Amino acid sequence: MSDKKQVSRRQFLNYSLTGVGGFMAAGMLAPMVRFAIDPVLQPSAAGKFKAVVEESELTSEPQRFTWKINQKDGWYESEVEKSAWVYKKENGEIVALSPICTHLGCTVDWASNEEYPNQFYCPCHGGRYKKNGVNIPNTPPTAPLPLYEHKVEEGMLYLGQAKSRGSGV
Amino acid sequence: MRWNQEDISLYAESKEYIDTMIIPLIPFDVQKDELMKKQAFQKELLKLFASEVEKEYKGRILLAPEYHYISGRHKEEVDRVNHWIGQFTNLPFDHIFLFTLDMNWRKLSNDLQGEIVWLPGLQSGNLQSSEVQSFIKEQVSQIAEMIRSYW
Repeated sequence: MSDKKQVSRRQFLNYSLTGVGGFMAAGMLAPMVRFAIDPVLQPSAAGKFKAVVEESELTSEPQRFTWKINQKDGWYESEVEKSAWVYKKENGEIVALSPICTHLGCTVDWASNEEYPNQFYCPCHGGRYKKNGVNIPNTPPTAPLPLYEHKVEEGMLYLGQAKSRGSGV
Repeated sequence: MRWNQEDISLYAESKEYIDTMIIPLIPFDVQKDELMKKQAFQKELLKLFASEVEKEYKGRILLAPEYHYISGRHKEEVDRVNHWIGQFTNLPFDHIFLFTLDMNWRKLSNDLQGEIVWLPGLQSGNLQSSEVQSFIKEQVSQIAEMIRSYW
């Protein structure tokens, strides 16, 4: 008999069976766990950003840019064109405004009315907004133009969801 | 505004702001295959025109249900079209535009109580192609300007 601790046959079998059993259990559980937490891992459609334009093209004057997104709308999944008025403030901050009038949903234009050269103008009912998208009192809209979430990566401007800014002025 | 539940409920609440209506006039004739193909294509094109113009001025234009008729009997249709228009002007609507690709309506434009907007269309083509899309965009911006001149 040597004085080294020997692993008995019984112990050896116990260890190896526990090991193999553990692997088998893990093999069965892993997919189940993955299925269970799958919804959490899905990328949310709401947070999707789309490349719109190179940052260098932006000016201090609002320009209209369009891009396409896939929209699932009940029965239909379709490609929808979105657009935004984008400009850069003097401090370099980017402002991306939704062109949809908050009154009844017409498309507003920058400086399209000669009387109001520095405002967004809605041709339907004469709604007006300041350059920062805030509605001008005593015109039909009751809320500012929604702002798009934006980020800049590698010189490219990405826009996400348009966020409403409440009831405004 | 479109002819769907959501937009029509909005319309019912804000009638005083919506004074313009677009009625697309869509012909069909099942006698000849070639004509059927052309008309089916032009129907898609016309619906696209109408919906793009509506998108631009959603808050002031209501897109009516399409008016379908069998082609070649325009004289007989005049009364029915005017009956439709009469229903809408009672709501009231101040401006009724009849969108069509069918040039036969032009001769009858004096008998109609709405404004005929005849669009020079395409005979056939692919609505997804970029040439057709830029053609439509160009025309839509001109139609939109034309409508604005009536306001």
